[in-house]
Amino acid sequence: MWSSIKRQKYAHMFVLTGMLIVFIFQYLPMFGILMAFKQYSITTGIKGIFTSQWVGLKYFVEFFNAYNFEQMVKNTIGISLLKLVFTFPVPILLAIMLNEVKSRFFKRFVQTVSYFPHFISWIVVSGLLVIFFSTNSGIVNDALLSLGIIEEPIALLSDPDYFWGLAVGSAMWKEAGWWTIIFLAAISGLDPSLYEAAEIDGAGRLKRIWHITLPGIRGTIVVVLILAVGSLLGGGLVGSNFEQSYLLGNVMNNEKSEILQTYAFKMGLAQGRYAFATAIDLLQSLIAIILVFGSNYISKKTTKSGLF
Amino acid sequence: MHRRTNEDRIFDFFNILILSLIAIVTTYPFYYMVVISFNNGLDSTLGGIYFWPRDFTFNNYSEFLSDPKWMQSFFVSIARTLVGAFITIWFTCLAAYGLAYKNLKFQKLYYSFFIVGMYTAGGLIPYYVVLRGLGLLNTFWVYVIPGAINIFFLIVAVSFFKEIPAEMEESARIDGASDLKIYYKLILPLSKPLLAAMGLFVGVGQWNSWLDSAYFVNNDGLRTLTYRMMEIINQGMSPLDAESAERAAAVTGVTTFSIQITAMVIAVLPILCVYPFLQKYFVKGIMLGSVKG
Repeated sequence: MWSSIKRQKYAHMFVLTGMLIVFIFQYLPMFGILMAFKQYSITTGIKGIFTSQWVGLKYFVEFFNAYNFEQMVKNTIGISLLKLVFTFPVPILLAIMLNEVKSRFFKRFVQTVSYFPHFISWIVVSGLLVIFFSTNSGIVNDALLSLGIIEEPIALLSDPDYFWGLAVGSAMWKEAGWWTIIFLAAISGLDPSLYEAAEIDGAGRLKRIWHITLPGIRGTIVVVLILAVGSLLGGGLVGSNFEQSYLLGNVMNNEKSEILQTYAFKMGLAQGRYAFATAIDLLQSLIAIILVFGSNYISKKTTKSGLF
Repeated sequence: MHRRTNEDRIFDFFNILILSLIAIVTTYPFYYMVVISFNNGLDSTLGGIYFWPRDFTFNNYSEFLSDPKWMQSFFVSIARTLVGAFITIWFTCLAAYGLAYKNLKFQKLYYSFFIVGMYTAGGLIPYYVVLRGLGLLNTFWVYVIPGAINIFFLIVAVSFFKEIPAEMEESARIDGASDLKIYYKLILPLSKPLLAAMGLFVGVGQWNSWLDSAYFVNNDGLRTLTYRMMEIINQGMSPLDAESAERAAAVTGVTTFSIQITAMVIAVLPILCVYPFLQKYFVKGIMLGSVKG
């Protein structure tokens, strides 16, 4: 046994180096979760995670009693659910529409263009939103005003009532095209003879989509849906709840834009309340785990397919 | 082959119409951004520009290039993109080569360690504590070291290396080549497409990141281009207002906001350039998104 390890010494060395890196950056922070139940002080470093005093559920209780606790939970869940409802069907629809295009050039063009924003940083996207929707000569308000459609500029970026819509809409703009890839791949795997047979039987376009395309990609839809539900609190498929609330949230729309993640960030890194912020993070992870297993369970019961 | 029915015609009409609208809504913002970047900043505040610069100028770009703060962050972004991609490729491929090694002892155990690692996350604060303990905070290395092993690409690389015919390795071994030599002289040259894909995806991720700059760095000299843009966005949601216009030098017509838009163009440009190459790897890329889910 030792001789074979010795012979493979480079291979073992390479793998172990990789494992050390993964241990430090992926596994070690897991122990940090203990902080949520401890009187942790940052000056004690990594060791302090283990040596500091236990305080039980103190930080959780404090969090539940925070004055804006209810509003933050409402925002987190509200934005996430809206994203799930409105952005989940869009890539499916888009994939079906693209699949029905006859011209290969046009299809490729629309595809290429619609994936592109996925690769652009949220910073740039927020910058674009400002250029377009600012109340001072933002191009949209500018155009609507000069066309006489509105009398007053719409304060999309500062009016709290618009924030949820802004978050859902901009996330859809950025990510919907990207998720069509997976559905298009699923559609292109379907048997073309099914369509030909249906056409001979007199089924029109919509009927073929409804009876062949949609049932054909049901498995993919279920898997992607479970992924979306699992990452629900991060924003689902389109993600970016944190980025949006951090970048597009401001003093004016704070009541509708503050979510658990931005609050944890402000408490933790900005105010140095490390243990408290860890408790908020942990609570969020717990909800996410429950959602993954829950949705997988329901999906297995109802459609007989699941992730695991 | 078959007759086009009325349903076909109506369907196609609306289908093409809607898809064209989507294409316009996606491309126009980028086009408009470029237009504004070539327009006099003070003039832009008046509005009414839609398709073409009204007061054409290169001043925004020359101002960007001569501003030491913007240039500093521009170089930090370039450096982290290059160094980050290199470090990730280096460590990920080495580990993958080890994992793909024929009859490696403990292979299953090693492999599951990585797979489990993909799903573990302690959250932001514990991560911060670890980085602090390692002395990585406020250093350039915090941008590039933590991502040294990309577990998704590790899995891709292992299966890629395993597909390299064993005979090639055998014959090299008979010629007296060591493991290291085989890795550098045989495996890596054969894996150029894999290395390219990794470099592109990791590079784009590095180029776009700003969260780590916001979380783990408070040294002005280490800010990335995206972070610098964020500062301006956060300064005010209506940067086109009179105040910022006043602050601008009346001679050059450059405002804080017009430089910001120029920076946005500069941030998008490299991605646009590598985009055609990225496209080849989309199907793999989407799997990356799903496993990270």
